[in-house]
Amino acid sequence: MTAPGTTTRPRPPARERRLPGDADMWVMILGDLFFFGCYFVTYMVFRAMSAGRFTASQRHLDIDIGVTNTVVLLTSSLFAALAVLAVREGAWRRARRLLWATGACGVLFALIKAYEWHTEISRGHTIHDGFFGFYFVLTGVHLVHLALGVLVLGVAVRELRSPRGRRPTIVEQSVLFWHMVDLLWVVIFALLYLMR
Amino acid sequence: MTDTDAAPAEEGAAEPAKPKRAGKREVWLVYWAFTVFYTALSVGICLLGRATPPPRPDVTGLQAAAWFDEHHLGIQIGFVFLLVIAGGAAISNGIIGYFMKRMSSGKALAYAYIAAMGVGAVPGFQVLLVCWLTATFRPDRSPDILYLLYDLGMLSYNGSLGCFTAAYTVLAIAVFYDRNRIFPKWFGYVTVWQIVTEIVASQMWLHHSGAFAWNGMITLYIAIVIFGLWVACLLVLLRKAAGRETGHTPALYEAEGTR
Repeated sequence: MTAPGTTTRPRPPARERRLPGDADMWVMILGDLFFFGCYFVTYMVFRAMSAGRFTASQRHLDIDIGVTNTVVLLTSSLFAALAVLAVREGAWRRARRLLWATGACGVLFALIKAYEWHTEISRGHTIHDGFFGFYFVLTGVHLVHLALGVLVLGVAVRELRSPRGRRPTIVEQSVLFWHMVDLLWVVIFALLYLMR
Repeated sequence: MTDTDAAPAEEGAAEPAKPKRAGKREVWLVYWAFTVFYTALSVGICLLGRATPPPRPDVTGLQAAAWFDEHHLGIQIGFVFLLVIAGGAAISNGIIGYFMKRMSSGKALAYAYIAAMGVGAVPGFQVLLVCWLTATFRPDRSPDILYLLYDLGMLSYNGSLGCFTAAYTVLAIAVFYDRNRIFPKWFGYVTVWQIVTEIVASQMWLHHSGAFAWNGMITLYIAIVIFGLWVACLLVLLRKAAGRETGHTPALYEAEGTR
């Protein structure tokens, strides 16, 4: 029931509704989430087998760095979502600037992560420790995805420069991938930093 | 007739000779050779040679020697057979390279793929066969030497990653840049998973047990599921691509008389 004086947005006809991005990118995202899910389950199994040692190692992680990285990536996802809205409104320059800001957040995330890795390795926490083995692999594979995400954002920015390449689906694909990178980090953050 | 063969140009003809047909028959022949080779590879490596699932990495020299003694017959039959048909690896690379050359992304990527996979086949395939066959045909050697062959074979087989990573990278780039839609774009993404698992598998050099050893859940079993998925997709896509080849499909090379 609609309150008097308020307006509701009409539901678009079925033929105007479409999958954001393209089906190929959805194959990538759903498959990637599945395989990361396998990694997460493996981590949980190994953690359950030696919970005390994993928890002791986890205490060496700096949770402030984890929170900072989470905020940086969530902010980048906000920029990415605003870029999609800008493209749909035809505001190409604004969309390009927002995609640049998204990519910049990604680079900042990688720099913070590199600092964290350097700190942990300096303290003698290497992959030979059970927990840190998973820590470096999970965050490392995530970093590879982040680098791919920055690359895909770059492709979208390049496409937006040319009037012929200004297709919303290109930006949607890159932003979908970026949101997946963000989602994966949130789960990794919860598993590695928060779960005790 | 191959697509590199030229139909003879008639003397004095106004129009240059055109190739009669694209190489459909030989494409099918190579496709089936690819399928048979991968099936034989699976039987030889997995069922007979027992390299997948692999033996344990955390054993002593005596245990490694005992393992070779227990499985010597399967290794000898499976790996000698694979040594004989090892050329099938080149044919398998050839069919993928052939379709990569049909892509608009350029032939250089096809050559890079063929070369990277060809080089990778030496450490990733031949070294395993040679090491384990040596161990089983020379059982009188000291357990330490057998232990070295055991490790060398497995680490070379599972740990020789660089060439395959390069090959998968150029294949993914070729698929993404191709405008002829030889392979769908989603297959490029599946290939990206292969690249990531190859990078993750590099951990096995450092671990003797656990999720990252050569028999680990992450470095081996998840990677094998992705590899199996990749090969299954490739077989279907190559079959479709081969089925699209018709008499009107242009040849990869111009006939000699038309250059």
